[in-house]
Amino acid sequence: MSKQATSWTDRIEETLIAAILGFMTIVTFANVVARYGFNSNILWAVEFTVFLFGWLVLLGASYAVKINAHLGVDAVLNIVSPKARKTLGMISVTVCIIFAFLLLKGAWDYWANFANLPATTGRWFPTGFEENYRPKGWYETDDVPMPAILGFMENIFNDGDEYEKLPRLIPYMVLPVSMALLLFRFCQAGLKLWRGEITMLIVSHEAEDSIEDAAQYVKDN
Amino acid sequence: MEVVLLFAMVIGLLLIGVPIAVSLGFSSVLFLLWFSDSSLASVAQTLFNAFEGHYTLLAIPFFILASSFMSTGGVARRIIRFSIACVGHFHGGLAIAGVFACMMFAALSGSSPATVVAIGSIVIAGMRQVGYTKEFAAGVICNAGTLGILIPPSIVMVVYAAAVEVSVGRMFLAGVIPGLMAGTMLMIGIYVMARVKGLPKGDRAPWSERLSAAREAGWGLFLIVIILGGIYGGIFTPTEAAAVAAIYAWFIACFVYRDMGPLATAEGQSNTSLLKKPQAIFTAIWHKDTVDTLFDAGKLTVTLLFVIACALILKHVLTDEQIPQQITKAMLAAGLGPVAFLIVVNVILLIGGQFMEPSGLLVIVAPLVFPIAIELGIDPIHLGIIMVVNMEIGMITPPVGLNLFVTSGVAGMPMMAVVRAALPFLAILFVFLIMVTYIPIISTFLPNLIMGPEMITK
Repeated sequence: MSKQATSWTDRIEETLIAAILGFMTIVTFANVVARYGFNSNILWAVEFTVFLFGWLVLLGASYAVKINAHLGVDAVLNIVSPKARKTLGMISVTVCIIFAFLLLKGAWDYWANFANLPATTGRWFPTGFEENYRPKGWYETDDVPMPAILGFMENIFNDGDEYEKLPRLIPYMVLPVSMALLLFRFCQAGLKLWRGEITMLIVSHEAEDSIEDAAQYVKDN
Repeated sequence: MEVVLLFAMVIGLLLIGVPIAVSLGFSSVLFLLWFSDSSLASVAQTLFNAFEGHYTLLAIPFFILASSFMSTGGVARRIIRFSIACVGHFHGGLAIAGVFACMMFAALSGSSPATVVAIGSIVIAGMRQVGYTKEFAAGVICNAGTLGILIPPSIVMVVYAAAVEVSVGRMFLAGVIPGLMAGTMLMIGIYVMARVKGLPKGDRAPWSERLSAAREAGWGLFLIVIILGGIYGGIFTPTEAAAVAAIYAWFIACFVYRDMGPLATAEGQSNTSLLKKPQAIFTAIWHKDTVDTLFDAGKLTVTLLFVIACALILKHVLTDEQIPQQITKAMLAAGLGPVAFLIVVNVILLIGGQFMEPSGLLVIVAPLVFPIAIELGIDPIHLGIIMVVNMEIGMITPPVGLNLFVTSGVAGMPMMAVVRAALPFLAILFVFLIMVTYIPIISTFLPNLIMGPEMITK
């Protein structure tokens, strides 16, 4: 029923992961070529790639929850009864949800001021919005140039003053977005675990899916 | 006292099946909120700074990508052909060739499981065909695969370098001699076993086969020159070297070997020439094979780096609370010398390495033991190599060694059978660990020779 929708978001997420990584590689490579071939550095290459890197991992984290790819220790889970496994799974997922929630609050608090928005008050849980704060919408990145297409932001975030470099609120925006996604995916995973569609949240190692192909190869030969 | 609580919580959460990243992050966040004045916003900042502030870590996705292109692009197959041509005629030749191939693949990729999967699937099948037992084949590959993290480039070394701020270049160089040593020790061990058990030997390959195999494999192996030559020749940083390696690997896979991308054809036929299909130069960029490999590498990057980013939150807590300094004081007060300290480090890592993915474990343990090691006069590079070798052994010791899992999956054998099969070779690696731990010159000789003596800053 929701299969269509799932594969559609799947495709976006998968393409995004591939595209960001590809782009990072090309920019870094181009920087080397520029240095030796044209004797000039791409000034913004390093900072820009590092931002992409952060985007890749933070956005990817929620996708990894969806496909159950996060690394973990399944030694105990493999020896207990299915019932105990489910209980432990539910505890785990609760921990994950609380973690994602706390990070979402932290991410908002950190990002909000860069976007001239109020951070939340409260130490553990948001209790409201702060009344006095120092807007930091003027705060720019070190090297990444400001694309003209984002010129409209100057009026909204910088009192109409021109941005020479990309404002920090853009790279940092990934924090609240990715943490909200992470929270959402953990809630979804919790639901799946409750319904028994998955038995655990984790895989035990990084090579899990390539093993099947390899095993098939060994069998065939 | 609070420290004990912190680590107990991390371990407890890990054991009930919370993802590693969340266990580390959650415990650190609770700790910060309870015991310090730090706000959640500062945690978010640390999380982003894991990327923004650690340019070195950026080498990891590129090395993963290069290694993925190598695996899908048919490099492994050619390396194996080359190593069989070189050493196949000894007693136990195919097994020795397997180790040799693992060493070469390790020099292209930075991860042990990846090495086992790439080399293991082909070599295990091949060894069984000529009459080795499956157990022997699995034992060999399982152990030799661990060289993936010791022979540069190595993801684990990049993580160590980023965590304690030493030079990646130095770490890579330091891994060369120990890596060659471990490989040689394994090969000698196999040769002795082969003589005793009378294992089959292959035919001596004619020089024409050796040369043609070398030429084929040479394209892939040239990557080693690019990476190491590039870094030590001062041409580019390790991160750039990794990116160049990724692009080079893609180029070789698509246009020279043509085992992937638009020029690949079904197995058995010769691949299309670029001259017949010149538009492939462009279409290869968004060809399905390229995008799929990018995606696989991206997925792996995400899971590994999310663990590392969360471990950096924990590191932030440790540094904030001056925990390593406290432990150092306590340990020095207890009269702990360098020898005893290294034993403690070995034991911690051996136990931890059995349960956890190596890079995650390293980010937690390294900042903790690093200040103590410096205080005791242990070379940071030497410490790094000790840690890497410990991880290797942790990967092949039961109950939950990473490589054991991978090998049992690849060979289609039960876990316990792999454990038994790996045992004799494990003994060899154990001797190696003791040597590396107590003979620092093995690790420090090459970096000091090439890059000059290390400046230790406290």
